[in-house]
Amino acid sequence: MINPVLLIAIPLLFAFLSVMFKKADKGLLVLAVLFNVLAAFLLKETEVVIGGWKPPFGINLIADQYSIFGLIILNTVFALSVFSSFSSVKKYSTVLLVSLAALNGMMLTGDLFNLFVFLEIASISAYILSTMTKKFKGTFNYIILGALGSNLYLLGIIILYSTVGTLNMADMASKIHLVNNNVLLLALTFIFAGFAVEAKLMPFNGWVKGVYGNANDLSGGIFASAYATAAIMMFGRIFTNIFVLDGTLKTIFLTITVLTFILGEIAAFSQKNIRSTLAFSSVGQAGLIATLFLSGLSGVAMMQVANHALAKLVMFTIAGAMYVYAGTDNIEKLQGLFKKHKLIGFGFSVAALSLVGLPIFYGFYVKIFALSNLFKINSYWIPALILFSSLIEGIYYIRMLAKLWNPGEEGKESKDEYTTKLSLENTFAYAVLAVVVGLFILYISYNPEFITQGISNYLSNIAGGM
Amino acid sequence: MVLVYSMVSFFNPYWMEKVIHPAAYNLFYLLSLGGTLGVFYSKDFLTLFIFWELVVWSSMFIIPLGKSRRATVVYYGISTIGSFAMLYALLLLNVKYGTFEISTVINKLSTDPKMATLFFFLIVMAGLTKLGIFPFYTWLPIAHGNAPHTFSPVLSGGLVKMGGFIAFLITAVLPTSKVFANHLQILNNPYENYILMILGAISIIIGTLMAIKQDDAKKLIAYSTVSNSGYILIGLAMVDQTAFAGGVMHVFNHAMASAAMFLAFAAIAYRTGTTKISELGGLIKRMPVTFTVYLIAIISLAGIPPMSGFASKWLIYQGLLRKGNMFIAFAAFFGSVGSFMYVFRPLAGAFLGQLSPKHKDIKEVPFWMQLPMLIISGLTILYGVYPGLMLKYIAKIQTSLNLPAIGVDGTKILTPNGMWDSWTVTLVFTIGFIIATILYFVLPKAKSVDLMDTYTSAEFIHNPDLYHYSSNYYAPFERLYKNHPSVEKFYDAIALRFKELGLLVKTWFFNENPAFTVFWISIVITAIFMWGDKI
Amino acid sequence: MIQYLFIGLILIGIYGLLTQKNLIKLVVALNVLEVGVNLFIISTGYVKDGVAPILFKGVPSTNGTFVDPLPQALVLTAIVIGVGVTALALTVVRKIYEKHGTLNLDEMGSESDD
Repeated sequence: MINPVLLIAIPLLFAFLSVMFKKADKGLLVLAVLFNVLAAFLLKETEVVIGGWKPPFGINLIADQYSIFGLIILNTVFALSVFSSFSSVKKYSTVLLVSLAALNGMMLTGDLFNLFVFLEIASISAYILSTMTKKFKGTFNYIILGALGSNLYLLGIIILYSTVGTLNMADMASKIHLVNNNVLLLALTFIFAGFAVEAKLMPFNGWVKGVYGNANDLSGGIFASAYATAAIMMFGRIFTNIFVLDGTLKTIFLTITVLTFILGEIAAFSQKNIRSTLAFSSVGQAGLIATLFLSGLSGVAMMQVANHALAKLVMFTIAGAMYVYAGTDNIEKLQGLFKKHKLIGFGFSVAALSLVGLPIFYGFYVKIFALSNLFKINSYWIPALILFSSLIEGIYYIRMLAKLWNPGEEGKESKDEYTTKLSLENTFAYAVLAVVVGLFILYISYNPEFITQGISNYLSNIAGGM
Repeated sequence: MVLVYSMVSFFNPYWMEKVIHPAAYNLFYLLSLGGTLGVFYSKDFLTLFIFWELVVWSSMFIIPLGKSRRATVVYYGISTIGSFAMLYALLLLNVKYGTFEISTVINKLSTDPKMATLFFFLIVMAGLTKLGIFPFYTWLPIAHGNAPHTFSPVLSGGLVKMGGFIAFLITAVLPTSKVFANHLQILNNPYENYILMILGAISIIIGTLMAIKQDDAKKLIAYSTVSNSGYILIGLAMVDQTAFAGGVMHVFNHAMASAAMFLAFAAIAYRTGTTKISELGGLIKRMPVTFTVYLIAIISLAGIPPMSGFASKWLIYQGLLRKGNMFIAFAAFFGSVGSFMYVFRPLAGAFLGQLSPKHKDIKEVPFWMQLPMLIISGLTILYGVYPGLMLKYIAKIQTSLNLPAIGVDGTKILTPNGMWDSWTVTLVFTIGFIIATILYFVLPKAKSVDLMDTYTSAEFIHNPDLYHYSSNYYAPFERLYKNHPSVEKFYDAIALRFKELGLLVKTWFFNENPAFTVFWISIVITAIFMWGDKI
Repeated sequence: MIQYLFIGLILIGIYGLLTQKNLIKLVVALNVLEVGVNLFIISTGYVKDGVAPILFKGVPSTNGTFVDPLPQALVLTAIVIGVGVTALALTVVRKIYEKHGTLNLDEMGSESDD
């Protein structure tokens, strides 16, 4: 039995300690990360009241199956990302610890304003992490949009507060029917807009290209897996547990998310660099997951969250490593790179195929479940559009893989002599990461219950599950 | 299918050293073999789909080992269009009927013609993309032509025929002639089937015309596959006594013939390193076994007795004529005539004529490469002489589908329009062949001339290839349809538009200037306020 | 009524974000927006004729005319966060100036290579 507060408190404490003991900062980082992984796995369903005020007046932390599922993924991918890119940590361990605390807080909190605070802390650490590659223009863009988004979110929850007088999530959910329709529309729009900035929904996500597209191995892995997981899981919690949408507003939001994943995949299709491709692919996937959440299919959405987090962790870490060690991530210049680094290539390929959703990989289960459940709720356009965008997604991933594995000019036999002169360093850590996650994806492909267990536990507790 | 795979695997050891990822090649080769088998044995649609996609992506990793990375993308893109259409239909049916099992689904569909039409078109899409029917044929030449030499026969003889299986499943196992009986009938076929037949006819014409143009033998064979897939589809879509049997038989015949042709050219490429017809020539002297294999294959492909290709094509013609499908029959005959032209080009260009000076001292391929080619040729002749062997089996299939079975009596094939005795025809051909051989030995021989033995007015020959008579072989014909419209260009245009749209999205929504996004946020929020009236 | 003023401030902030090219001005616009939001939050807690929500002798706690204390607590947090973000933004602006030698968004080149 572990108190969920520790998941937030330990990294935060270690962050302060790492400022004081600068020499030991990396050790503290490792300790906190390991503790959090362990704690996330040991966490049981519980609810903790902070500061002696009972909810709905005080702040409480909720660890239900939903947040435990998110926490396990979040902390695992965070730890894997930190360990595999340990050489890039440098002076950033304090920031990493703070971001870990804030992300865990986002997953756990049961209070809308507290969520805002953790969101801001996570964003501030993300701004700092995004300066790792010295692309300050992207960072500045991110700061402006992130701050604007958080303020919109704040405005939204305050409007709700002034009408129903509570900020507690559970309390809000029970009182939401009291709110006047117009006020609710105003508030939900602001909340949606605010969260859409963090959850990378179009057109709120102008920062993604500059930040994701310029990430290195560490920040790429953390942004694309840990941050994306936390943001989208909170999006899911707000729009499935607290506010249940219906009518025109749902149609509008669904249109936005569907357009996000189609346009995101199309934009990814037009990119030449691996990281930009992956960035737009993340946008598309966020749109897909948000669509599933908005359609009321939380279970499938959670499965896809796991799939996406694992796949993007491997792919972004490797793409970032390409940028760090080879100096470029242009596909044309890196032809045949995986010929040199076969194990890394194996992990990357498995991740890509799973994300595309080809059979015998985990992603295929997600796709089947998503489509059949969408058919069950009489939605026929969304499945067709999902298939269409996943066709585009498949095409650019296959194009990428074909070039990275097989060097050669068009029209000539694939030969070693075309292989890129560039290569990666520090390959051991990346290879371990790639193999471990690749094998894990293969494992859950044959044994999907491993992931779906937690989800079905969660769904059995709420009405209208799978 | 298994036959093709196992035959080709004899070739593999010799190619291993030339391929960049030997281990991966073997792995994916076996995976795609397993997947192909799985497709044919699967009892429910989901299993079928899983094996189907397994084949797609495992072969997808083999193709870029060859000459082209782009080929993989085209191949994946087109075959995924088909398989996703199939997936959509399968899941829709699963939700509606609660099962994936083929027989149950088909039974339920038989009573629900509206659903059946949707299902028919969505699933047949998967068959069409794999078969390489117009407008999905573009992946065949680029993938076949650029795949590793040993994988091309598998692609053509194995994977393409999976599409035939789907077409078979959808036209015959789902009894289309009964389910769609109340629909619009065109020449005694429901319009659904007729559309398939038209597509098959267009494929025959396009495949033939394009094959005539090709200089690369592998691309030529790939286009011939397009044209022959057209025959298969026409035969299957007719769902009657004769043409259907012909279609099913043609699946096998074409698999054998194209595998033999691809293997012959793999053998040539093994020795000479090229498959361009204009760079070869006179190889009959150096590689007689390969030549014989190729000759038998093309005779079968062009539908000349006594090879097995004749039997199946003949049956398809019979069916077409009996129903009076003049347009499609015309296309079928056109394809037959055209196929003489295109299969003759490699024969004349690569095997006959003068030996190119570059290839003076090449040898026949090793025995283990000859063996599979010879076995395939043997089978082609066997089924040509005794088509009954296979037709009996097909008759069983037809009975199980409640179709009138094809009549077979020893070596005689009985159809409503008449009968055909392959044995007599074989006998006549054998006699003719013997006479020709005697004449060849009796009559004085022509002088054998070297390629360079030519009158050039004392000019030095810089590029002997240009003097080869097979360069620009069919120039007059090609000129006839040089500026043809092309589906490839159309697809390229679509891909380009998507790319442009993507860049547009990038500049509009993902600008480095935050003002763009702030602008969009304001717009969207305003829009939501205006339209989001009900929650 | 006064709430419209604060909404006006928010709109001015958005207008600034939309039109300004200078990085510093963008940060200022962001701050204007934040101030607008914060003032708006405080205004929601206001109760007419209310007094500060402090219990002391002599004031009966039953007449219910306290202003809501929670928004003020929230605003404190929001202000702190806003200051942090502004500081970070200004640091980044300085780094951009060192790198590109200008503060105008249009004058500095693109960062990405595709």
